[in-house]
Amino acid sequence: MMRIVPREEYCIGCRLCEVHCIVQHSRSKDIIKAFKKEKRPVKRVEVEEEGHVSFALQCRHCDDAPCVTACLSGAMQRDPETGVVTNDTERCVGCWTCILVCPFAAVRRDEGERKVVGKCDFCPDLDTPACVANCPNEALIMVEE
Amino acid sequence: MLTYDYAIVGNSAAAINAVESIRARDAAGSIGLFCEEKYRCYSRPLISYLVAGDIDTKGMYYRPGTFYRRMGVDFHPGERVTSVSSSKRTITTAGRERIKWGSLLLATGFTPFIPPIEGLDEVEHITFISWDDARDMLRLTAKPVRALVVGAGLIGMKAAEALHARGARVTVVEKLDRVLPLALDDRASELVAERCGEADIEILTGSSVALLHGRGGHGGTAVLDDGAEMEFDLLVMAVGVRPRTELAEAMGLPCERGIEVDEYQRTKVRDIYAAGDAVAAMDIVLGRPSINALWPVAALQGKYAGMNMAGDERAYPGCNSMNAVEFFGLPVLSAGIVNPPAQGYQVIVRQDEDGYRKAVLQGDVLVGMLMAGRIERAGILTSLIQERANVRRVRNSLLDEGFGHIHLPRAVRRERIEEAVAGLKAAGADRGRGE
Ligand SMILES: Cc1cc2nc3c(=O)[nH]c(=O)nc-3n(C[C@H](O)[C@H](O)[C@H](O)COP(=O)(O)OP(=O)(O)OC[C@H]3O[C@@H](n4cnc5c(N)ncnc54)[C@H](O)[C@@H]3O)c2cc1C
Ligand code: SF4
Ligand code: SF4
Repeated sequence: MMRIVPREEYCIGCRLCEVHCIVQHSRSKDIIKAFKKEKRPVKRVEVEEEGHVSFALQCRHCDDAPCVTACLSGAMQRDPETGVVTNDTERCVGCWTCILVCPFAAVRRDEGERKVVGKCDFCPDLDTPACVANCPNEALIMVEE
Repeated sequence: MLTYDYAIVGNSAAAINAVESIRARDAAGSIGLFCEEKYRCYSRPLISYLVAGDIDTKGMYYRPGTFYRRMGVDFHPGERVTSVSSSKRTITTAGRERIKWGSLLLATGFTPFIPPIEGLDEVEHITFISWDDARDMLRLTAKPVRALVVGAGLIGMKAAEALHARGARVTVVEKLDRVLPLALDDRASELVAERCGEADIEILTGSSVALLHGRGGHGGTAVLDDGAEMEFDLLVMAVGVRPRTELAEAMGLPCERGIEVDEYQRTKVRDIYAAGDAVAAMDIVLGRPSINALWPVAALQGKYAGMNMAGDERAYPGCNSMNAVEFFGLPVLSAGIVNPPAQGYQVIVRQDEDGYRKAVLQGDVLVGMLMAGRIERAGILTSLIQERANVRRVRNSLLDEGFGHIHLPRAVRRERIEEAVAGLKAAGADRGRGE
């Protein structure tokens, strides 16, 4: 499957990946509306930064995903064909068990209308996930495994 | 005679994950699944969400309705397995002939522990562990009631919260001096108790029910050990759970703290496996089998039992205790040892407006963590606990808001990120199990 790989030697810590992730997961997909007018969705990628080192990390779509095994409701599932791990927000109850077990801190609370979690879904509507497509320095790249 | 290559007793976290794991390896073998409950597999922890009205009955199901068909499983709901013969390799269910198996999984889960309280047999009570219990509770709370919950563990507190959401006037009685005594420490318990108090749930810690007087049906009066009396219309008994070992015991399997299994989830009898809350699972942090009656633990064990039943020998990596709870908007996550005995541990604590955080170390190894309030990056600590990683170089940043892979040595973070992709090496199985 395709994976997103962070390259810390190229990351400039600009956090555009976070911004574009938020916009892509917003209702309007419009940057101003997403940040100012709507309930801002949680970011599904996060830049870690310390001194002059930084990199952006999102869900690894683990082969033996701990979040899938741990999920209390069955909402977190790995598609056997594509390998993508997605959260069915209809079934998610916001119990935070996946947050407790994800080794990459790739799941976040999303307390909008209902309590659910948000995580990288590989941007199903796009050919290339928004974070990768909009990284100005190719610090996030797609790799075929 | 009905014959299955794989027969499974139970229909919950352990059983369902075993089915999926078997099917991923053996497309043809016949699977028969027996459960005394009449429901398709549902998520037991969600019964409180159902009662509270957060989800509807559709939301209860752990897997879609097509699951059994898609997995090629003969599902036998409402059939209790009454005995197992290891010599004839059969099981018997209530009201049915014997059924033959090639290998057998006992995923029988837990039963509530009922303490001997004088007068308890005069009062109908709810143990709040099943969908049927949730239905009873919904029915009984159709009008406002006074509810008494005995026990402030996870099940008791979840019951209290659900009852509160149903408009009941709730009192919780707990013998120990804090709520969620196993999952939390003093401070976190206090924070949870505060929230519950603000919501008008009355919590009486250090207190127990000495005597009960029934009124016929569900109502009655409780006399507490300090002599105080309280009337209730609904009683929840939630003082603890026990591994459900009756089938295993009748076969003569050792069951001291749960059905005993080796690292391949095998019992002492050939081709009989066990997984889930019925089993005392290997705890990585404690270094010995321990009762961690938790959904993720049961699911993972089921998964490994399934692999091994289907002939793919893989050792169960072990578990540790972990809890995710939220009461009235306060999320609390914990893993490993949160209440260390006085000696041989170091505790780092941080408290600020974001919440309360704690890390417990044994030498250079992180053995426990707790986060209340801001919980977002908790999983990194859980994974360090599971891996028994050396955290000497990062110990001072463990509780920082942005603690993450950036703080780990470059080689380590690379390895972790790549490992995830190549299938998280069963944590602990390959690295530093302590020996
Ligand atoms: C209210 C509540 C809230 C909870 N919340 C959480 C939570 O937030 N997080 C968490 O991690 N855990 C939670 N748990 C615990 C979790 O539900 C258990 O750890 C989990 O269900 C264990 O799964 P299991 O597969 O071992 O067995 P179980 O879920 O116990 O299922 C075993 C099944 O086997 C059946 N069975 C047993 N013996 C026989 C027999 N002889 N013949 C036929 N059928 C049989 C039983 O009827 C049952 O249906 C909660 C539990 C409750 C009750
Ligand atoms: S959310 Fe975390 S545990 Fe789940 S697949 Fe993604 S990285 Fe792995
Ligand atoms: S928060 Fe949602 S996705 Fe995560 S474990 Fe709970 S139900 Fe599953």
